[in-house]
This record gives sequence, C-alpha cells and structure tokens, in this order.
Amino acid sequence: MANPPHFIGHRKSWNSWNTSTLKDALRPSQTAIEDVFIRKFVTGTWHALVCSEIIIKRQHNTIRIAALIRQAITPRKMYFLIGYTEELLSYWMQCPVTLELQTVGDRKDVVFKYI
Amino acid sequence: MYLSRQWRLLPKAGIARSLSSSGAHYTTAAPAEDSPIEIPNRIERSPTDLLQALAATVGRDHTAPHYKYHDDPFLIPMSNAAKRTYALSKESGRKAAKWIKEEHRELFMHQEAQPAIEKFAPSMVYTEDSQVEESSLRQLIAQGELKDAVLVYNLLEQKGTVISPELKQSLLELVCFHNNQEPLPEEYIEERWFMQNNRRRERSGKTWKDGDLAEKLYSEIEPKTPQSYASLIRGMAKYLQCERAYALLQEAGEKQIQLDTNTFNSIIQIVNFLKDTAEQRWQLCTELLQEMSQQKLRPNLGTLNAVLQCISTFGNFKLARTAALQVLPEFKKLDVSPSLGTYYYLLIIFCRERGPVSHVIVDILNDIAGKEFKVQHPKDTYFFATAMDVCRNHLHDKALAKKVDELLHTGKNYDLIGDSFKESIYYRNYLALLCQTESIDDFMQTYDLLVPNIYIPEPGIMEEILRAIEINGGVEHVPRIWSDMVVFDHTHRESLLLCVLRILVDNKPNPESPAQQQLPEQGAKVALDMYEKVEDSIRRLRKVSFTGQMLGDILTLLVRGGNYEKATEVLSHIDKNQHRIPGTPAESALQEFVEASVQEKSPSQALVALQYAVENNIDSRTLAKRIHEGFTLNEAHLSKLKSLVGESFLDK
Repeated sequence: MANPPHFIGHRKSWNSWNTSTLKDALRPSQTAIEDVFIRKFVTGTWHALVCSEIIIKRQHNTIRIAALIRQAITPRKMYFLIGYTEELLSYWMQCPVTLELQTVGDRKDVVFKYI
Repeated sequence: MYLSRQWRLLPKAGIARSLSSSGAHYTTAAPAEDSPIEIPNRIERSPTDLLQALAATVGRDHTAPHYKYHDDPFLIPMSNAAKRTYALSKESGRKAAKWIKEEHRELFMHQEAQPAIEKFAPSMVYTEDSQVEESSLRQLIAQGELKDAVLVYNLLEQKGTVISPELKQSLLELVCFHNNQEPLPEEYIEERWFMQNNRRRERSGKTWKDGDLAEKLYSEIEPKTPQSYASLIRGMAKYLQCERAYALLQEAGEKQIQLDTNTFNSIIQIVNFLKDTAEQRWQLCTELLQEMSQQKLRPNLGTLNAVLQCISTFGNFKLARTAALQVLPEFKKLDVSPSLGTYYYLLIIFCRERGPVSHVIVDILNDIAGKEFKVQHPKDTYFFATAMDVCRNHLHDKALAKKVDELLHTGKNYDLIGDSFKESIYYRNYLALLCQTESIDDFMQTYDLLVPNIYIPEPGIMEEILRAIEINGGVEHVPRIWSDMVVFDHTHRESLLLCVLRILVDNKPNPESPAQQQLPEQGAKVALDMYEKVEDSIRRLRKVSFTGQMLGDILTLLVRGGNYEKATEVLSHIDKNQHRIPGTPAESALQEFVEASVQEKSPSQALVALQYAVENNIDSRTLAKRIHEGFTLNEAHLSKLKSLVGESFLDK
C-alpha cells in the first residue's frame, strides 16, 4: 500500500505483529530475521502468486501467516503448497505455523490506486 | 432489576449449569453462622482440560466446511472427489516438507525450543557402519521405529553384542505387532481417514511372513517364556497364520505355560478360519473358554467381542442367536461392560438380511442412549454405520434412526464414526431413510443441515431424494436440488436428468401458491442449463446423449418459462438431428410449443413443429387444427400446411 512510514498505525497497519519489541521482550532480532525468512520463503514457494504484503502474526507459540494469493493454479496444487509451507516453516521455526490465505481472481483486484 | 432482566434473556439451562458447577449458591441473605465452610477437594486436571472444556462448548458448524479445509470460496471443496483430493494434497505437501527435512538434514539441526522438540529435528539415520549400542535399540523400540530397530538389531548381531532377553522380547513384540512391515505413520491422519476398503484387505487371508525375523527372534529366546509365546501367537493370529497360531497355543498348553487372556482372545477371533461349520466353531470356542477358566484367566471385553465375532460368522441363524443369548448374561455376571463393538456384533448376529426381523436395536438404544463412549476395541467404529443400516434396511424406522443420530452427537461419540467411508455409509442410509419416511419439508431441513459440508449425496441417493420429491409433490425444491447436482457434478447421469425433467414437467406450477410463483422461470432456467450442459458434454469424454423425451421436456419447460427464443432453438436442434436422437418428444410438448407460437405470432415456427410431427408419425391433426385456427395464414404458409396434412383436412 502506498503510504509513507508515518502513516503506519494510522492509515496502514503493521506487516509483522508480535511483542518482541516491547520493553524486556524476548528475541527481537531473531524475530525480525525470521520474518524476513518467512517472507522470502513464501514468495518463493508461491512463485508469482502472492499479490499482497505477507502479514505475520505471532501469538504465544504459534505463527499465523496471511497473504492474498492469485487463483492461477488449481486448488489441489494450492493445498499441496499450503501443507508444504506450513510443515516446512514449522520445522524451521520449531513451532506451529498456520497459513491464512485468501484468493483473488486477478492481480488487478488488489490494485487500489495508481501513483 | 437490570440484572434480573438480563438473566431472563439467558437460556435457563445455562444459568442452572453455571450455578451448580460453581458449587456455590448466590444468595443475598448472609449465610448461617454455624455452617462451616467446606473447601472441596482439589480435582486433578490435565494440561488440556481447560481447552477441552472450551472445545465442548462449540459444536460442529454446519454452515462451514470442515476446518481442515481453507476458508476461502476458491478452496472450499464442493464434491466428494474434491474433499478427498484437497485433504490428501495438503497431507502430501506435509510429506514433501518432511522429505526435504530428512534430505537436507544439515539445515535443520538448529534447536530453537528448550527443551528441544524431537519431532522438529531430522530423525537419526542408521546405516551399515553406524556405531550402535544396546541402548539405541532400546530407544528405537520405545519410539516404535520398526525399520531402524530391525537394522540396529542386525548390526548388533553382526558385532556379536549380547542382547538381553527382555530387550529381545520387546523387539519380538514390536515385530509381531507390525508383521515386520513399516506401518503408516501416525501423523498422517487424512490418509487413514480416506483409506478405503481396508476391511476387505484385512479379510483377504494370510499375510504373516513365515520364517521371518519374528520367528527367528522367537527361536533365539531360550528358555521360552509365556510372553514370547504370547507375542508370537498374537502376531500370527493378527496376520491370519491361523493353523500355526493354534498349534503354538496347544504346544504352550502341553508345556504347562501360563498364557494371558488377550492371547486366548486372539485365537478365539480366528476360530472361523480354523473350523468350517458353525457347530465345530462353537465347540472349539467353548473349549477355549473352558481352558481359560481352568487357567484362572479372567475374561475381558476383548474376550466378549471375540466370542461374538466368532458367533457372527455362523451361517446357522438359530444357533447364532442362542449362543449369543447364552454368552451375554455370562459376561454380565463377570462384570464386563460392553463397548460399541459388542453392540455392532449383536446387530450383525440378530439383524440378518434373510433372517426374521429383530428389534434388538431398540433394546440396545434404550440401554446406551445418552452415554458417551471411548474407543476400547477395534470394531467400535463399525457400530454407527451398521446401526443406521439396520434402521434403514432391516426395520425401516425413522424414530430409531433419529435416536442413533442423537447418540452419535452425544459427547465425543462422533470420534467413533470411523473413517470417511463409514461416515458416508452412515449418512447415505440416514438420508435415504428420512427421504422415504418424512414429509418433504421436514426432510429438506435435515438436507440443508447436512449437505454439502458434512455429507454430499451420491447419485443414487440423489435419485431417491428426487423420487421422494416427486411422490410428495415438492416440485418447488427441484431448482435447489438441481443447482446442488450441478455443483456435485451429477449432471452426466442420464437417469437423474430425466428424473428432474419429469418432475418439473408433470407438476405444472400453480401460479396461486406463493412458493411456486417463481417456478416457471426457474424451471426454464434449469432446462436451459441442462440443455447447455448436455451439449457441452458431447465435446467431452463423459457423454450424455439427448433423447427425444428429454428434449421434449426441455422444450416444454422453456415454453412455460416464457423463453420462446431458446425454445425455437431447441426445436430446430430436434428437427435437424432427427436421425441421431433416439425417440421423439411427447405430443404434449409440441402442442405447448405450437400454443406458444400462436401467442408469439410466429407461424413459420409452428409449421416447423408440425412438419416434424408429420415426419415422425406423431398425431398431427390437433396441431394442424390449432395452427389453422390460431393464425391468419398467408398463401405460402397455407400451401405448406396443405402439403403437410392434405387438403381434405382443411375443408372440414
């Protein structure tokens, strides 16, 4: 979304939701690096299918990953990728990982504004 | 005042429960001073108790697909095939990830969690030249890793390490349990859920590996212990090496070796493979039971179910009945409480296809209504499908079926439905019974609840439902059913298509009833949809071909729905492909079309219909008459009419 950084929290919300940057919170740097890894992994695994930012939400020991996916492959293949992504990321992060995807028919559906 | 009003809005049961479960009574009056405060004993809770209590407050959501599917319109499965493929694809993705983890093990060696979670790390790999010790074998057996355990055992043998007898015994137990075959890993639940016909595979015959590792291990254990006998006998009995299992049991008896109850159970289970006639089987069964009582072994649930299984294989109905009636009180005296598997066996003993009608299920349901069951025996999962089958095919009783369904939805009993195959049998029987016995509106309520998220009807059941609609005159439900049929991919079944058309054509909508006001247009839509679907299918592999009857019905529906334009198209299709289409449309279909042509003032179309009727030996006189009366025909049309039916007709 085309919003400059000072609008984050006002017109645009965070892409990573976690409490690692609170005072005395645990693993701030690891969390940031892991999020970068997750984003790279998901955009690479769902090649040319992700049409949005990848939102990563952490609650307790679970990680929920949300994104908009283009309906360019069959649902069957999507389910394969869902299973694969969830399982591999949970091996990597060593905690339960859930994918929360929404699909869109066309890439243009998620374009809201041309600059 | 405010509070009390709020409370009235709450369901009464909820208040009662919340008050009684908290164990205190909320009263404004001060408690009497002399009553001492009693602190209740602490109840031991497991870590997941709270979660389970929370989960118990939400039931299955009928309006959403099962939670294993992704909640997005594109990803929601809409047919039985899709349900299966989607769930299995997801699991196959999991398998692929696991393969990556094992293949690139060096990348997954990090440990994030404290204490480390073993399942997230790659598993140990044992090869020909790994350094192994007895302790690693012990660990592998504890983890149930059969293949690795066998490999490590062989390595230890080669190195000449002495393995303690009790470790050998536990390896023997592992090998006997799995017949030295790697079992399907436990985490792949979908594969288990969708695995089909495993029952047939079990029955197929001996799968025990003769002279394999199990027997080698057994021969190495000296002196023979009761446990080693027991595990080999049970393994052989499980994989149907029946003769040798029985021989081993006799050998153990001769050597005065004290076996345990479960070993006897496993032999009783295979009595039907040892003896041929019912009398011999029953005799052997009683002999085994007597032997158990001599050895002072206490029978358990497994014994009860094994004996009933043996009885259920009797071809002789009378003997089976008397034997079962003897066995039940005996076990009741022994204080063995039956499981669902027991009731399953009773049902198949008493309710046979060719036997007299038995109402044993009524007593069973009276006995167990409202109870919550846990799985105790492998056959427990067969109960619900069989009970519903008995309700439908044996007794044809709607009230009983509802009772069974209520039992299924009591507590966690739904866990005992078995697998997808049994679940679909259960619902198939349930819906088929309801659509035959209930009024169509009541039935549609159940239908709305179950379809499509819990159960998708097979084409056979769809036909039953359509028949019920036809009998009960619920023609207003047809468009809804048709749209379901399209979604479930039933449109290539000719019998279903004909059924839908027949109902729509035969039940002419009554414009005064509010439910049927929309029906002519909806019917025309269904007809048009069907016409396009069938035309489409000709280009595909799964061919459905038009019949004259079918096209005639489509024509009628289009005419009734006021879609005259499409109706002419269908008629020209009928006319052009006369030689390819078997059969002809009904006369009434052509009549209705001509009538519509009159309304639309289109004599040339009416003449096409007439010509078709003449060419195909359909009674054309009424048609011609109607055309003659309805239109003021010009010369060309008149001469055509004459050439078709002859001049003499017009002069009258």
